[in-house]
This record gives sequence, structure tokens and C-alpha cells, in this order.
Amino acid sequence: MNEHQFENVNIGIPRLESLSKALGQAKYTDDLRLPNMAYAALVRSPYSCARVLSIDLTEAEKIPGYLGCLLPEDVPRQYFNCSGNPPSPLLIHDELVLTREPKVLGDRIACVAAETEEMARAAADAVQVEYEVLTPYLDVRSALREEAKAIQPHISEDNVIQYRDVSQGDRGAGESASDFIVEDCFSTPPMQHVTIEPTSCLCDFSDGEHLTVYSTSQTVFQERRLIAEILGLREADVRFSKPVVGGGFGARQQLHAQHIASLMSKKLHRPVNLSYTREEDLYSVVRHASEVKLRIGASRDGRLQLFDVEYYLNAGPYTTHTPTVVAAAARKLQYNVPNYFFQGYSVYTNHITGGAFRGYGNTQISFAREILMDRLADKLGMDPVELRLINHVQVGECFPCASIPVSSNGIEDCVRRCQAIQAEIDTQFPLVDNEEVRQAWGISFSCHGSGPSSKEGLSSAIVMLNDDATVQLLVGSSDIGQGSETMESQIAAECLGIPLSSVRITAADTLLTPYDTGTFGSSQTFICGNAITRACDDLKAKILAQLRVIFPEGKVEERANRYVVQENGQTTELDLAQAARKIMYDPKGGVMIGAGTYKAAACPNPFSVCFVKAEYYKKLNAIRLLDIIEVVDVGTPINRLTVAGQLEGGIAQGVGYALYERMEINPRSRRTLSSDLLHYRIPQMDDMPQTYVDMVDSHDPYGPLGAKSVGELATVPVAPAIVNAVRRTSGQEINALPLCDRFVILPSRRKEG
Amino acid sequence: MKNEKNNEITLFLNGSEQRFCVETDETLLHVLRKRAGLTGAKKGCDLGECGACTVILDGRAVNSCCVFAVQADGKHVETIEGIGTAEHPHPLQQAFVNAGAIQCGFCTPGMIMAAKALLDRNPRPSREEIRQALSGNLCRCTGYERIEQAVMMAVEIISGYAER
Repeated sequence: MNEHQFENVNIGIPRLESLSKALGQAKYTDDLRLPNMAYAALVRSPYSCARVLSIDLTEAEKIPGYLGCLLPEDVPRQYFNCSGNPPSPLLIHDELVLTREPKVLGDRIACVAAETEEMARAAADAVQVEYEVLTPYLDVRSALREEAKAIQPHISEDNVIQYRDVSQGDRGAGESASDFIVEDCFSTPPMQHVTIEPTSCLCDFSDGEHLTVYSTSQTVFQERRLIAEILGLREADVRFSKPVVGGGFGARQQLHAQHIASLMSKKLHRPVNLSYTREEDLYSVVRHASEVKLRIGASRDGRLQLFDVEYYLNAGPYTTHTPTVVAAAARKLQYNVPNYFFQGYSVYTNHITGGAFRGYGNTQISFAREILMDRLADKLGMDPVELRLINHVQVGECFPCASIPVSSNGIEDCVRRCQAIQAEIDTQFPLVDNEEVRQAWGISFSCHGSGPSSKEGLSSAIVMLNDDATVQLLVGSSDIGQGSETMESQIAAECLGIPLSSVRITAADTLLTPYDTGTFGSSQTFICGNAITRACDDLKAKILAQLRVIFPEGKVEERANRYVVQENGQTTELDLAQAARKIMYDPKGGVMIGAGTYKAAACPNPFSVCFVKAEYYKKLNAIRLLDIIEVVDVGTPINRLTVAGQLEGGIAQGVGYALYERMEINPRSRRTLSSDLLHYRIPQMDDMPQTYVDMVDSHDPYGPLGAKSVGELATVPVAPAIVNAVRRTSGQEINALPLCDRFVILPSRRKEG
Repeated sequence: MKNEKNNEITLFLNGSEQRFCVETDETLLHVLRKRAGLTGAKKGCDLGECGACTVILDGRAVNSCCVFAVQADGKHVETIEGIGTAEHPHPLQQAFVNAGAIQCGFCTPGMIMAAKALLDRNPRPSREEIRQALSGNLCRCTGYERIEQAVMMAVEIISGYAER
């Protein structure tokens, strides 16, 4: 009984660009060629902490095709923060373009260029760098020890970048109101994004005045601002243009090597391609490893009384996003609790730099919370689903310490739908519990925001009407593979009452499209979508106003996307094409351009429930995932096929996170073991359990056409649901990922037939 | 660099005979992308681990980053550009679109070529055979569910042709 009837949204349609991808015609950054293009490669530190004593270019200069080199003293020396967030005091400046004091494996020491990519790599390898190797602090504990040296002494003496305290209520009152308190420490590993397209940029700064960058970018406008600051340019002289991008997940919510490639282009007066190898990509950025100390207290009736958390993130040696990741985690508790204490620490180490990754702090805290909620349910003798439901925040209420009330909530429908799918699975494959093997289900809830929870989301759109009633839609937001261009076109088509085939979108080019904060925080549907509905409303209002100018004596109205003109007792109905022609070619006509901007005033929470069926082989201490169900409340799903795809992909990343993904640094050699995709394993097709995804009927009052977000939400509940299932099958308490440390992981799925 | 000596090779590339001067240690992927201008095969790792560069060499799916160009001399090479057009896409290409099996699309050409090599040899594979054949192709966006569905859809379309 959904009262909202749509033609172009809440349907499942293939992506607009997918045929060009299937045909191999879509152009990604490294597919682009410019005349006279050169290639650059970076000389990177093989050590996690060192000091450069000397750099010798003699051998590199002998490589055929060698064109030149940039050393730390050849490039701007001011500190910056590479994060693609809008400016904020939390984004502390502590990174350099090139450094003689490498603080992390892969730190940039120098850059060389040559005629081909292979020659550039050979030249980079031939640069002789002499290091004094220093002792790195690889985890939070060692970096916080009293005798630890400061990693960034100009920022912090004790390696704490920032401490964040978010709290309400009274700890003592929470303790005394609690009949049961459960507590434990949890840790999660650094996970890499593994976008299948490696990071790449093509920079043309040949004239030293105007810079054009084509790159794997989620945040073109922030990256333009940052590079303009670093290179001393005005933003109008910098163009960031995003080609097709092969995945982001947060890894491209920052500058990578565009600065040094641009400087090399200026030096050579030639366009420069700088593309990472897979190894470089793997150690460029990770989801923060975390240590979470959590206590949850509840009264006998199951009501939560106390939530007390200490949250430590391993930032690596550069601040990048870390304090904002901590801040985001502080406001993701979807249960009512009167006494809430969040103490968050952003900590410098010499491990791989932490950055943005799908979930943005929510993943780590939800992992600890949802596991401990299950243990609490056992203590209370309550069903884990019901314990979560009775404490869940309802519409009109706020999350603890959050200021925006929940505006729509379909969590109960999500649960019931999951349970219905669960019952179907168990009817077909009844739960096994015998000598050898035990099967069980585990569950988890999660939430997220729609856009940055700091309300810094800002987007804009322009809709230009053509005389055949097609429109050009211009938006600044980046489609990085998640399908936002199709979703945005659908919203425009729906608002204007025209077929989707009449909308042509241009996105994420700072020369051509209006400002957008960037593709992060699951913003695109909610923030950019709202900008588009406003631009379409503006266009419609302008059409009406112009028709009134043309028919000054008449009465002009819009009815169901048709324009009705009553003049001299005659009624004329114009469809959009007729209206467009009339307006453009009438002596009193004009050009119809609608514009809209949306500054995030709300941040509606989407909700998710995840059920996992797993089995445990007692003699082998082995586990297998059988089925994963995820049902979500994302408001109106704009494109049901895209939402389902986001859920399935989010599940796969959750499976990898839970089972085996971790960027590892060997404590003895202090070098990474995870240097390729054999040693950093992501789920393959054959590894995936059967997945079931669905979305419940829901409509958010603030969302464009009722929509909320889905991207990050999808992956957050998966790892804790897996752990809760494994806990129930194996009877073992689990505090850390990945599970391959504790169990043999069997290939997923039942045998067919 | 040890590969000063150039070698001339002949490839039957998407059905047309083409000659290339290549270096001894140059990969087939490099020839396709840099010399033939066919950028459909992608470089995801250059180590034979991700499958984004998969092409069909004399009927077999190979990681073109792990095949020296000189090894392909005289052989038939099929790439994503050669199996369909916008007007007449290959059933696999259309099925990948319709099933929603494409997100960022970077793995798609390799995925489709691996699937085509399977279907060319085994037109009615089981789901398990599909999963096994495509397990050398990594995807980070989709979770594979719709890729498997797309291949099953293409199987139906192709067997429909065969029965006619």
C-alpha cells in the first residue's frame, strides 16, 4: 500500500553506461592518451620509518627514455591534508608532496619520468636511495607508550592526533540501573579497498598556468581546491575531469599523486600519466584498524541503560580523515540509551595510512556493538532480534548525542522480511546439528546516514531544456561505479515527467558542472538528488513564468506536466516539447535553465538487518558460510537493480572483512606481506555464500522522492552477523577479525544437486 | 634493458591479420593496449591475479598480462572489442547489462571473455562450473551474484539460437 506512484523511480533498470562498459568502450583514466604524453613513477620508501641519507640518480639517468626527476627540494614544502572532505579544523595538515623522512611504507621520496611506463619504472628502480632505518610503531599500543617518539612532533607529542568526547547522562547512574553489564575489547584489521582499477592520473600542466587533471576521483571539487592550494593556482585555472572510474569505496576520496604528476608535467612541458601498480595501490590507504573497549548495561527488562566505549583508530603517520572518521562513529548508535559515553582517539602510527572506507568509522564500532548485544541477549535470556527491537530509536527520536531526529524507520519490516526468507531457507535445508557439524544463524542490525553526518553535504544541479523536450542534466557528483548518474537521471526524469531516454547527464567535471561536495558519506542520492529535484522545480517554474510572459492576457497552468493556456475563451494544451519550442522561438521567449542547490539540513538514517547462516565442523575447527540475507530500509529505492547490486557488493566486502582481509606488516622484516592479490585475498566468485537481498516499502519525508542512502549501509552489518553466526555454531567467543586466524575457512555454498 | 631486439609477430586479432613489432619481454596485454589501441582488456594487477585483462587465445581464456606477445605469434586473439557491437552485442554482453551485473565495469571485459571461453567449450554449464570458470576474475563491486545470473541468462539465449 505505497501511496507514492512513480514512473521512473522505484523500478529496476540497467545502468545508462553499462553497454559501453560491456563492449569495452568505456574509457578509464589509464585508457586515455594525450599527444606527447610522458609517464612518471614514484620512488617510494621500502621502510615504515626511516631517514633518507642520500639520493643518487646516476644509474636512473642512464635508462633509455629517461626524462627527469623531482626530489623533495624541487617541490612545494608546505604541509597539506589530502582528504577530499571540505575544509575543517579536523583535517590537520601534516603530509608533504615528497619527503626525506618517510614515515610509512611507500612514502613518496622522489618522482622520475620517462618516455614509456616501463622505462619510468626502470628508472625509479634505478634511483639509489640510502636510508637510515628507524624503528616504526605499527600499532596503537606501541605508539601510545610513554617512551614512544613523536611521529609528527609539530602536531602531537604523544601521538594522539585528537581526542573526542561525546557523552550524555551519568556513568554511575547507568551502572546502577543495569542488572547486567557485558564488556570486552574488540579489534579489527586494516582492510584495503582493492578497487579493481588501480589508482591513476593524467595531468597536463604543460604551460605552467592551466592545469587539467583526469583521475580516479570521488571528490573532484575538493581535489581541485587542494591542488590549487599546493601549487599556488587559482581554482578557475584547474580542471578536474573524471573519466569512468573503476570503483572507489573511499580510496579516491583524497588526493593521491595528482600533485606530483602535475609538477612533473610542468617540469617537462608535457602531459604526464602516473598510474599505481597493484602493490602501490595496496599500501596507499586502508580502512583504519581499530581497538574498541565497550561496555553495555541493561536492566532486567532488556532496556539499555549504559553504553560506554573507548574507540582507538590507527591513523598511520598522516591525519588524512582520521578525526572525522572517529567523529562519524560517535553518532551511529541506533538504540536508545540514557547514559552514553564515547571517547575516541585518533592515533599516529607508522602503519599504512588510514583513510575513508565504506562505513567510515561505523564499521568498526558496529562490529563491537552487535557482537556484545548478542552476548547481552544471552545473559538476559532474550531473543537477540527482540532485544534490538525494543531498544531501537523510533521516528521522532534522536540517536544518542545526535541532533537530527530519525525521520523514517522500517527496521521492523526489515526484520520480518529477513525472518520470512530465513524460514524458506530452513524449510528447504533444515538446520543440522550432529556429531560432526552444527549450523546456526547470527544476526546484526545497522544504520548509517544519508550524506556526511556533520551536515557539510552541499550539491547543485543544472537542468537545461532543449527544444525537443530533451534535457541536459549537469551535476558535480562523481559516479565511481555505484550508478549515481543513472539514479540522478531517473530523478530528473521523474520530476519533469519525461522519459529517462530524454535525459542526458554530464557529471563530475569542474569545468562544466556545478559544485558538489563529493562522492562520500553515501550522499549522492540524498544530497545531489535533492539538488536535482530543486533544479527541476526551478525549471518548471521558469517555463510557467515565461509562458505567462508570452500569453499576458491568458491564464497559464501546469497540469500533470502539460501546460494549459486559457486565452480569449480558447484552451490550448502544450506538452513539454511544444512548450519548449514556443518559449525558445517566440519573440518574447527565452532559454530555459533550471538550477538548484541543496545544503544538507537533514541526514536521514537508512537501516539494515542482516541474517547469516553458518556451519561449524567440530573436528576440523572449520567454518563455512551458507546463506546471507540482507534487507534494508533505504526509503524509496530510486533504482531497485542498483540498490540490490549495492547490497550484494556490500555483503561481499563484509565477507572478505570477516574472513580473511588484512593488510599485514611482518613484525620482523617490517615489510608488508600483502603486496599482491594472492597475499591480500578478496572474495572470489566461488567463495561467496548464497545471498538474498531485499528492500522494504518506505518513504522518507526529506528524501528526493522519498529516498535515503544505501552505499555504506550495505556492508556495515555483515561482519558482525557472520561473527554472531560463527559464535553460535562454534560456541567460541570472538573479539577480532579476520576469522581465518581462528578457524579453517571452507569454501562457501552447498554442493548442488 | 635486455630487450633491445625487436621481433615481428602476426596476430589474428578479432579475425583480422595484424603485424606488430614487439620487444622480447613485452606482454600481449601491452601490445593490445599500447600498440593495437584496444583498451577493453584492463590492467588491474599485471601479475595474473585479477583477470581484468582476460582475452581468448586460440579458444582459451588467458590473462594477457602473463602471456608474452611472442608466444601469441600466429595465434587467434579475441578481445572484448571483437565479440559484439552496440547494434549487435554478444548475448553475454547484453545479459551482463540486463542482469545488472555491471557496476564500475572494470572487471567486466575480462569477466565476459572468461565466460565466453567457457560457453564456447561448454554451452550448458552448471552454476558450479560457471563459478569455477570465473573464479580467476575478481570483482569488488557486485558480489558476483548478478554475474552468475548474467551468464545463466546468456546460456539460455545461446541455446535458444542453437535450437532454432
